[in-house]
Amino acid sequence: MREYKAYIDSLYHGSALDGKGLRSVVFFSGCNLRCGFCHNPETLYIRGKEITLEELVSRLIRYAPYIRKGGVTLSGGEPFLQAEFCKALIQRLKEYRLNVCIETNGYLLDRDMIGLTDSIILDVKNQEQPIADCLYAFLDACEQLKTPVYLTNVLIPGCNDDVEHLRALDSFRCSCSCVKGLKFLPFRKLCIQKYEKLGISYPYIHYREALPEDIRQAQSLIRGDI
Amino acid sequence: MKQEQWNGFVGGKWEREIDTADFIQKNYTPYIGDQTFLQGPTGRTKRLMEDVNALLKLEQDFGGVLDIDTYHVSSLLSYSPGYINKNLELIVGLQTDRPLKRGVNPFGGIRMARQACEAYGYKLSEKVENYFKYKTTHNDAVFHVYTPEMRAARKAGIITGLPDAYGRGRIIGDYRRVALYGVDRLIEAKRADKLAYGKKTMTAENIRISEELYKQISFLEMLKEMAAAYGFDIGKPASNAREAIQWTYFGYLAAIKEQNGAAMSLGRVSTFLDIYIERDMKNGILTEQEAQELMDDFVIKLRLSRQLRTPEYNALFSGDPTWTTESVGGMGEDGRTLVTKNSFRILNTLYNLGTAPEPNLTVLWSDELPESFKKFCAQVSIDTDSIQYENDDLMRPIYGDDYGIACCVSAMKIGKQMQFFGARCNLAKLLLLTLNGGRDEISGVQIAPEGKIFEGQLNYEEVMQAFEKYQAWLCSLYINTLNVIHYMHDKYAYEKLQMALHDTEVHRFMACGVAGLSVIADSLSAIRYAKVFPVKGESGLIEHFEIEGEYPQYGNDDDRVDAIAVQILKNFSAELKKTPAYRNAEHTLSVLTITSNVVYGKKTGDTPDGRKKGMPFAPGANPMHGRDCSGALASLNSVAKMPYDCCRDGISNTFSVLPSTLGENKEERVENLSEMINGYFEQKAHHLNVNVLDRTKLVEAMENPDKYPNLTIRISGYAVNFHKLTREQQLEILQRTYHERV
Repeated sequence: MREYKAYIDSLYHGSALDGKGLRSVVFFSGCNLRCGFCHNPETLYIRGKEITLEELVSRLIRYAPYIRKGGVTLSGGEPFLQAEFCKALIQRLKEYRLNVCIETNGYLLDRDMIGLTDSIILDVKNQEQPIADCLYAFLDACEQLKTPVYLTNVLIPGCNDDVEHLRALDSFRCSCSCVKGLKFLPFRKLCIQKYEKLGISYPYIHYREALPEDIRQAQSLIRGDI
Repeated sequence: MKQEQWNGFVGGKWEREIDTADFIQKNYTPYIGDQTFLQGPTGRTKRLMEDVNALLKLEQDFGGVLDIDTYHVSSLLSYSPGYINKNLELIVGLQTDRPLKRGVNPFGGIRMARQACEAYGYKLSEKVENYFKYKTTHNDAVFHVYTPEMRAARKAGIITGLPDAYGRGRIIGDYRRVALYGVDRLIEAKRADKLAYGKKTMTAENIRISEELYKQISFLEMLKEMAAAYGFDIGKPASNAREAIQWTYFGYLAAIKEQNGAAMSLGRVSTFLDIYIERDMKNGILTEQEAQELMDDFVIKLRLSRQLRTPEYNALFSGDPTWTTESVGGMGEDGRTLVTKNSFRILNTLYNLGTAPEPNLTVLWSDELPESFKKFCAQVSIDTDSIQYENDDLMRPIYGDDYGIACCVSAMKIGKQMQFFGARCNLAKLLLLTLNGGRDEISGVQIAPEGKIFEGQLNYEEVMQAFEKYQAWLCSLYINTLNVIHYMHDKYAYEKLQMALHDTEVHRFMACGVAGLSVIADSLSAIRYAKVFPVKGESGLIEHFEIEGEYPQYGNDDDRVDAIAVQILKNFSAELKKTPAYRNAEHTLSVLTITSNVVYGKKTGDTPDGRKKGMPFAPGANPMHGRDCSGALASLNSVAKMPYDCCRDGISNTFSVLPSTLGENKEERVENLSEMINGYFEQKAHHLNVNVLDRTKLVEAMENPDKYPNLTIRISGYAVNFHKLTREQQLEILQRTYHERV
């Protein structure tokens, strides 16, 4: 049997913010994008630790007693960059009846991987360019494979919180019935220290953090358009 | 002997002999429904709480102590009856003649009583001073026997918090017996035991037991008299719910009048009382509203329990705790849940009366608990930060289904087992003592046998070998010190009333403890997996450590270091058992610091894990502040590995998580917290204190205490009003890990 290996940045056990219920999160190293506002720059610029499939599985199943109603979330970085490993991992986790969710930017399409996972959190990037065509293709695949998708979008005041951005986002949301929800993630600058540690400048330093009012306002604009 | 007060109860063994557990099993009604039946506070309760809150405010304004009666020595009959507001009270009885007025109890030691009075601007009366001038106190007697070695270890702070100047506490009387049987029957049973002992050979132990029985009987008589002063004849069993609560409370009240033990826990009364409430409801003489009102009133009384302490004592056990611990819920050995409607009612007092640290509500958690009760508990935790959880599935096979928790985490069969509280020793300091060849790293005094002072890169095997030698020295010294303390406590400050509410044949535990587990585990991990070099100061002692490289830290579910922590506990426990304990007590061990983790840290130099001199330890079995960074569940998993089998006196974990980390809304948070607790206990973990709060709220409360007068947080096996902590302790709490996913 082939021994699968992957590069991961870290594991975090006990998040209720990365999918339904309590979850263990695998942060894969490496990303195909270089978003200037990235919250996890360490997954972009550091190679990460090599880990075998069985090692990772054995680390994750220690949390089975806690995450029966939640599950495991594959995040990063971009998990689709290490799709072969991820598919093998999901199959192993399924043996333990664990729910699996993938957080992705949706630029890399792998139909088998979409078919294996229980749900997808698609973080829609519209901050630096319009919503890419490939994201529509990604959604189509999810629709065909009946994989529910939850959209997230990092809301950066003065960048993507205007009516045009929000309209486009809303029409993306409404383009497929597999989309089950949309959540705005407030832009925060808590990651500044990570950038400092990496010796990289943080291009979004001059933007302000999103406040609860900004989120409410964006939500109301979207709702009004439905 | 059927009593008319027992009409409607299912009979059995409990009628023929004293057996509260049998009575409960035959008569209680499990409840698997939700909390929707619960009632809010009545107008009467609210009015009474207004009086109580005004008194509490006044107490705070007076610097923490409202008043002291310096003229009497606290006991069952020392004061005339006291009331908060006689016309409004449903359950009566105060420790002294006025609410929050503290009595003095010099039996543990006159000096402590004197200093406590002086600290609050009072002077102990001549009368009390003269009375104790010619009386040996527990404290006197212990120091008559202490060896120089014991004194040195105590002074250096390698063994600290010893109950040699105050009541040892941690004994739970079966206060329910007063309600079920009435005092006359209890006296009769003790008289029979005394006669039986009279027929045995009069060995020293049998003579002692006979004398103890004499004292127990005379205090039961006083208990009756104390209740009579409030207008109740408790010679007979309680005949309804109100009486059952009142009788039970009188039992507890008598105990806290007689003793000033550090922890004076209540036991497991709510399900017992539910039986009386159910019977009254069936008979149509009590409504749900009235039942809640009785429980509210009962809890108001428990919240007013006070002992007089010195400021030094408060530094060890911060926030004026009494550990009026009440164990709630759990499962029966027959598979039925012991959760009743009254389990919900006692938790509901936190809503009806507002949050408060006492009574120390402790949920006995089992995987089998009704889902609705689990959810309600999680909700109460999220709303109030006032309850703690202990693993019933772990304890029930050992203690049966009628045990209770004394203090924070100490399990014992109610009325059948008791413990000799042994405080704890400082493991981090023991490691430094090892590296410094038996010298105290702070004072330089040679307190243990002389050995070599370590130099150059520390070698793990070599350090462990030396550590084991010093461990053997300390364990023997520790048990011998405890033997002296408890011999003298039995002799000069025996818990007459509490022991009268125990079986005469009682099983005893010698409850030892350790502090600094995470510091020593990380230190040894650093020595093993990184490179650690001791650096000596001018005195020739090691002043600090240089660490090269990284090492696995306890709290991240990393077996490399977690296994070190497990091994330390196993070895320490085995070593303790080599020295026989007083009265054939069974040795047990706790990983619990209460709030002394701050004081212990103060007395401990730099440690090889990189912790600086004077910095606080993590509390209990917690990972060191901020070092558990792989998520809440990883932190829980590390602590869950600590073996209860060799730490039968409990393994304490205090856990703080941000509300937002638990989920986006209340419903999600309740569900996720409940899953978190369940997962933790499924892995045989023992205890969990849960705080669901934001650090920023605590910072705000520190700066504006008036804004959060009732802010309650769980700190270490108990809860406190945040504003009652010292500044130092508040700061330590802010340094703890607040699990947050960002």
